[in-house]
Amino acid sequence: MKNNSLGRAFLLLVIAGAIGYGIGLGIDFSIRGELKLSASVPSAFALLFSFTAFFFGLYGYRGITRGLVFQVVGTVIGAALVTGIRALMGLESIGAFLFTEPAWVFGALVGVISFFFGVGVMTDWVKWARGIDTPDHHEDEPGWQKYFGVSLDHKVIGIQYTVTALFLLAVGGTFALIFRTELAASGLDFLTLDLDVFNQNGPQLYNTLMSLHGMIMIVSILLGISGIMNYVVPLLVGAHDMAFPRMNAFAYWVAVPASVLLLLALILGGFDTGWTGYPPLSSRAPLGVQMFFLGVFTAGWSSILGALNVIATVVRMRARGMTAMRMPILVWASVATSIIALTATQLIGLSFQLVMFQRLFGMGFFDPGKGGNPVLFQHLFWFYSHPAVYVFVLPGLGVISELLPVFVRKPLFGYRWVAMSSLGIALVGFVVWAHHMFTSGMNEYLRVPFMYSTMLVAVPTGVKFFSWVATMWGGKIETPTPMLFVLGSIVVFLLGGVTGPPNAMVALDLHLHDTYWVVGHFHDTIFGGFVFPFFAAIYYWFPKATGRKMNEFWGKVHFWLMTPSFFALTLGMMFIGLRGMRRRIVDYDPALGFDGAHLFLTVCAFLIAISILIFFINFFRSIKHGEPATGNTWNSRSPEWQVPSPMPAHNYEVPFEVVGEPYDYGLPGSKFVEFAAKTAGKH
Amino acid sequence: MSNKQQHPNLLTQGVFIFVYLAVLTALEFFVAVTFNSVVILVAVALVKAALVLWYYMHVNKLSESDESNHEAYAYKSGTNRLGLWLFLVSDSFVFGGLMVMRLSLLGMTRPDLSQTLGFFVTAVLLISSFFMNRGEVELHNGNRQGFLRNTMVTFVLGLFFLLGVILVEWHTVPAIAEPILHLFGEPEGKPLLKASSGPAGAAFFMMTGMHAFHVLTGLILLLIIWVNGKKGLYDEKQYPVEAAAVYWHFIDVVWIFFYPALYLIGTAV
Ligand code: HEM
Ligand SMILES: [Cu+2]
Repeated sequence: MKNNSLGRAFLLLVIAGAIGYGIGLGIDFSIRGELKLSASVPSAFALLFSFTAFFFGLYGYRGITRGLVFQVVGTVIGAALVTGIRALMGLESIGAFLFTEPAWVFGALVGVISFFFGVGVMTDWVKWARGIDTPDHHEDEPGWQKYFGVSLDHKVIGIQYTVTALFLLAVGGTFALIFRTELAASGLDFLTLDLDVFNQNGPQLYNTLMSLHGMIMIVSILLGISGIMNYVVPLLVGAHDMAFPRMNAFAYWVAVPASVLLLLALILGGFDTGWTGYPPLSSRAPLGVQMFFLGVFTAGWSSILGALNVIATVVRMRARGMTAMRMPILVWASVATSIIALTATQLIGLSFQLVMFQRLFGMGFFDPGKGGNPVLFQHLFWFYSHPAVYVFVLPGLGVISELLPVFVRKPLFGYRWVAMSSLGIALVGFVVWAHHMFTSGMNEYLRVPFMYSTMLVAVPTGVKFFSWVATMWGGKIETPTPMLFVLGSIVVFLLGGVTGPPNAMVALDLHLHDTYWVVGHFHDTIFGGFVFPFFAAIYYWFPKATGRKMNEFWGKVHFWLMTPSFFALTLGMMFIGLRGMRRRIVDYDPALGFDGAHLFLTVCAFLIAISILIFFINFFRSIKHGEPATGNTWNSRSPEWQVPSPMPAHNYEVPFEVVGEPYDYGLPGSKFVEFAAKTAGKH
Repeated sequence: MSNKQQHPNLLTQGVFIFVYLAVLTALEFFVAVTFNSVVILVAVALVKAALVLWYYMHVNKLSESDESNHEAYAYKSGTNRLGLWLFLVSDSFVFGGLMVMRLSLLGMTRPDLSQTLGFFVTAVLLISSFFMNRGEVELHNGNRQGFLRNTMVTFVLGLFFLLGVILVEWHTVPAIAEPILHLFGEPEGKPLLKASSGPAGAAFFMMTGMHAFHVLTGLILLLIIWVNGKKGLYDEKQYPVEAAAVYWHFIDVVWIFFYPALYLIGTAV
């Protein structure tokens, strides 16, 4: 990346931010009649202007820049339209955030759709609708520029996903550091009551940051797994691209306006519901909750369409000889994940949509005063959100099974069982959702069946653990950075796994629910099932994408700083949780005696943040300065490593055929794939 | 194309399927207004849906594929077909969720609506599906005029359905809605069902709204294939027409379940 364009981008970011802020301030002043520096409208303008200007400086007026401009203009036009209609109908037309809530919601929707046209993902489809054919492949411009515009290459899209996921990880992590700081001591009140930013006082801001931390991290996870699946699955199955390249690009670009909406939720008044958005609280929360709902709804489409593409790719585009029982485990895991994402995601979208409509049109779905039922929301919500945890972790568990044999130089133990366990987890995962609702007041007879079905998940999960342990048993374990993260995943996920069944016990969960115990538990599952394997995957496939390795030393520093801090963090959380620390509160009673523990947890959180910062620096430096690695860096049997790195645009120049088992490491003479050119004479 | 000679039979088959569907719909209505057995209503809906899925949407085509050449149009159409069906599966979860919402909030009661009007709009949508099927078969048979004509009829019927729901059932334009509702036997001055009035209104507007949104998108697809068909496309590459038709029938399948859920089962409140 040219340094001068980056410098220019940052300069424009500051200038445009200031201009946007000034305009917003003027508008805000003209409505409010007083000058309020930390109000929402100027900040919203500053955010949108600076984002757009940054990409303009970097990339010019095309691709993402054009998309963002369209989004901003579309939002304003949509909102103005509703405002105009409301004014004509004699309804209130100006709200606390410049526009009224219906105007913001409609505007945001128009903005998202405008983004698609601006960025250019609709171009080919519009042509098709007009009966014009387009070429199958589009050539990308060389260099870094292709990452900022619409590309149809699954490898480019995979990297776009990954980098966006890392960006959101940093944003969500920053939020966590802010509210972790607030918790460092009881009565700290660093987010004070007189604070007034974005129309929120300190404790309200705490709630907003806490809620957004949850959802931004979840979106980051969804994009992260899409990143892995997009980059790796077509390579593993020997396809030249995904089945639907345009929809693939679309699914990625959906996530960008969605992220903008999530950030707007912070600025437009925030919300205090947690990531779960339960009514009745969410039907009364500030405007921010609408942006949150719409953002999640939009991001959900990314997940749904991405999943559709993965399934179609695996079903239709496998290399010759790759029968179901010779597919790499990561491919199996991706299919299992995608089955959940394809179907269940619709239910969180629906549940959020119903609350949006309840707020906009007074439809009383979840309002007992109008004959509605708030518990219904929780059923719809958890019907997605429990299976969603398997969406988060299955690809990660697939990465573990994929990498482990490479680094222990032994066959994967129990291939068939591991392949089937992913599907097993996905299917059982559909019938456990109400374990999140033991205290909700749902019908009591539902508790026991959901308790047992939840316990059942331990069976296929256990299969994976047995396989990993047996694979390592007696192997020659090498520990370069990716393998360290794989080992870390296994241990951390084990801790997450054994702390799950206690929650599934009704009698215990009535006490554990909504305590820090649960917070510790799910951070373990998510780190073990996603974050550690994600890092492992990045360290592992980085050379494939760039032709260079990430720095080993700093990779090891990253690992050895993050892992102990993380253990201390979640064990500490569980410890205070068991002793009665509530989750989702801004302050606590000093008499509980948790001050020391909380200070310790905050220190751990900062150590993790430092380790991830090290990762970021390593990541971006290695793109240019990493040690060259164009060959089979890890000595893997997998087809993508049999060709030089970085991978050429349309993947394999000669197709390969699968002739053996994928994980027969160390068995003399065994072969997984054969490339057509080499075997030309044989057949 | 080995099955070319079967196509005239497909036209007759379409007529038979339509007759079955029509008889079942009438039976449904009769059951609802007489002894209102939920079991029978659900069974009839399942049979109707199965008929549409099998004969109009050709779900069986999913399993036929020509593995030899991945670059061939037939193979790519197979992939597109799988993609479309996966999308429909995903979409079904939205409608399934709405159905759960309806059953949870209303149980064995239903919104107080004109059952005859409901029957009428249902018939309109069903007939549109019949013409859609005809249009698709005509195109296969190489009869472009027939294809265009039938697609246009489908479009007009679909539009009619959409306007019927939005203008009349939703009562958005009282000047139009009032006389029509009267025609269908609704008493003067009956309290209107409103989105904000209670669970019945909320469920009714949400379900018909989501369905109407799909009808609208389906109409856009129909218009696209009609215009492109008029331009002379789809001589060889006919998958877009199949896709639009399958999507249109899917909208009908959804209504096959929503119609009894909103107009037939239980007692009106
Ligand atoms: C596989 C990866 C897993 C992930 C990513 C995960 C994630 C989560 C999350 C996010 C929560 C918090 C719910 C809330 O907002 O209160 C949670 C709670 C819970 N988890 Fe897990 N979990 C996983 C595995 C398990 C397992 C294996 C079990 C049991 C066998 C389990 C049982 C539970 C139960 C019962 C709760 C509800 C606790 C409560 O709300 O009081 N989880 N999990
Ligand atoms: Cu769960």
